[in-house]
Amino acid sequence: MTGWHLDDGTLRRYVGRTDSLAEGTSVEQHLLSCEQCRARVNPAVDVIDLAAVWARTRDAVEVPRPSVFERLLRVAGLPAHEARLVAVASAFRGVWLVGVAAVLAFAALAAAVGHARGLWFFLAVAPLAPCLVVAFSYDRRMDPALEPEMVTPYPALRLILLRTIAVLALALPAVLLLGLVVPGDAPFAWLLPAIGFVAVVLAASTWVSPLNAAMAVSAAWLTTVWLVATRSASPAAVLQARIQVAFLVLAAASFGIFLARRRHLRQLRPWR
Amino acid sequence: MTASISLRGVGRTFGATRALADVDLDLEPGVIGLLGPNGAGKTTLLRLLATALPPSQGQVRVLGRDPEAPAERTDIRRRLGYLPQEVGFPRGFTAFAFVDYIALLKEWTQPAARHAEVRRVLDQVGLSNLVTKRIRAMSGGQRRRVALAQALLGSPPVLILDEPTSGVDPEQRVTLRTVLAEIARTSIVVLSTHQTDDVAALCERVIVLDQGRVRYDGQVTELVRQAAGRVWLADQPDPAATVSWRTGTGRYRNVAAHARDGVEHVEPSLEDAYLLLRRGSPENDPAKEVAS
Amino acid sequence: MDSRPGDETLLLAVAGRDMGAFRTLYERHAGWLAIRLARRCNDRDLVADAVQDTFIAVWQRPQGFRGDGDVAAWLWGIAIRRLVSRMRTHGSVAAVFEKGGAAPAAEDQVLLSVEYGDIGQALARLSPEMRAVIQAVVLDGLTAREAAQLLHVPVSSVKTRLYRAKARLRAVLAEGSS
Repeated sequence: MTGWHLDDGTLRRYVGRTDSLAEGTSVEQHLLSCEQCRARVNPAVDVIDLAAVWARTRDAVEVPRPSVFERLLRVAGLPAHEARLVAVASAFRGVWLVGVAAVLAFAALAAAVGHARGLWFFLAVAPLAPCLVVAFSYDRRMDPALEPEMVTPYPALRLILLRTIAVLALALPAVLLLGLVVPGDAPFAWLLPAIGFVAVVLAASTWVSPLNAAMAVSAAWLTTVWLVATRSASPAAVLQARIQVAFLVLAAASFGIFLARRRHLRQLRPWR
Repeated sequence: MTASISLRGVGRTFGATRALADVDLDLEPGVIGLLGPNGAGKTTLLRLLATALPPSQGQVRVLGRDPEAPAERTDIRRRLGYLPQEVGFPRGFTAFAFVDYIALLKEWTQPAARHAEVRRVLDQVGLSNLVTKRIRAMSGGQRRRVALAQALLGSPPVLILDEPTSGVDPEQRVTLRTVLAEIARTSIVVLSTHQTDDVAALCERVIVLDQGRVRYDGQVTELVRQAAGRVWLADQPDPAATVSWRTGTGRYRNVAAHARDGVEHVEPSLEDAYLLLRRGSPENDPAKEVAS
Repeated sequence: MDSRPGDETLLLAVAGRDMGAFRTLYERHAGWLAIRLARRCNDRDLVADAVQDTFIAVWQRPQGFRGDGDVAAWLWGIAIRRLVSRMRTHGSVAAVFEKGGAAPAAEDQVLLSVEYGDIGQALARLSPEMRAVIQAVVLDGLTAREAAQLLHVPVSSVKTRLYRAKARLRAVLAEGSS
């Protein structure tokens, strides 16, 4: 630290901008290397509100940025704090969505390419995608903060339903688009089964973990599709009105059970 | 609305295991320590108090409300902070983001007020400089303090803490004790711990649990008095002692169930009294059997 | 005073996500940065935004400081560029501060020559446009393109004025020494 420092007059002129370019430049050069004089300049600053700028800077650095999905939810009409709650679920972290989307895209491609089994593959996989993503969105392993969450006043049912709807709002149109690529009469034959499976997973989550439920549903469905595929040549078997209505009934019944047992939604599984 | 918690005949069973039996308690504002070995039922009791579990038998009233009724349960949860034994943190979350998330669940809808409250509780636990650090990159003690911070949101009248100081270094434990003592002036703080010195420093009242039952419920000073005349120092471990161990001075501290004469007695500590209570309990206590 | 951490230490702490160090850095530097920026731009909101951008940039890349020179100089480099960036996107003309073009009073002239030598007088005799260019390019270290954005003139103008300003300075200095 050199011995020379700015005198009060010079400083005053600098801050008040009544000095010349040369003088100001000299002051500025000095300030670059003298923290003592900088400390004398700072209190005199009134050109901006330093405290307000600090508050904004701190917020920019501390407050987590809303993700794309969160912003989408806000646009969709959800209040800001709920959009954040829903979007924070692990399922929306991108990684899972990309994984599920990749599998679906592959399935659609297989079907589009005209491979005979491609269509079966798509029909097997497409209905499972929504229920898997729903399960990801609130399974305990995916959502590790479960225990402190459990005793907060926010209604568990509302949170799960919002997350499920948000997931479906993402997943269904995506599969819809992919379904258009798939040849065949009714690319939407998977729609009711998909909804049915989501409802089953929701209902089952009042007994077991959502992810386990989704795995079980997936296993059952894949087995069924495989059995049917080896017996009949055409996926039209799935399109029968009877089957579709059966899925509708399954969806309604499961959802009813889910609502009836919603008390069990946030309780811990008893250990031992 | 009363400012207290009461339990009457509370029991909790998991399948064939009885975790809690015949618990009768009345808790008032202040710090209440919960001591007991692993498996004694401390965590179960705390979960019950935090409305995370319903009892299998008996009645619970928190702040005059019944957790079995959904509307009242939500009311209780608005006034409750809970620190579980283990808290998982979502990947990629900073301390701020995590506490902010819990604050959202606690109905802090206005961002400005919420952010200010998040900063306040993180400051209370001494983490105001590490607000933007990823939790996964923090030490165990720092993570514990983040978890404690979420329980402190809103300065709740009921604070349930399961091993709040586990993994926290001694210096930080002193800070936390100050924070908890301050909160306990108007709130009910129930904390479970293995550290008898935390209880001794913080609590006036202590409850000792063993095998799901209350073995002792009263003043810390009273429990300590029970060990008077039963603790002494010697150069070698005394075979007549119930328990003895080497102290930092190189001498041996001995604790026995019966008072002894002619030995170098010392002031009993809470740890001595607790050990006495534990070791002194009879092997075949009929009260320990599982009720049919 | 000796126990106060230096700016470089603070930057290291900021890299470790220490909010306290970040705040200290802000308290030490936001003030003088704001004043210096305000001498290049009359729009206070832009100056405030530039200060905010500067510190956010510091938070995001504290390791950008290579350890050469003062932290303050590094901060100024970020700040002036953030100001230019803001002014560019803001679109409207933000008048560059220029002290009134009046010639300095007699005693000031004496002061100038005593304290700053001939350069001070030489600078004072340049036109405001030329002074602004010298300040931006020579003193603040901006590139011709950045200076053009700051002053809202085409790059070619910057280069021309710089050339002329330097020529005039040389002339005035030569004149003064003879």
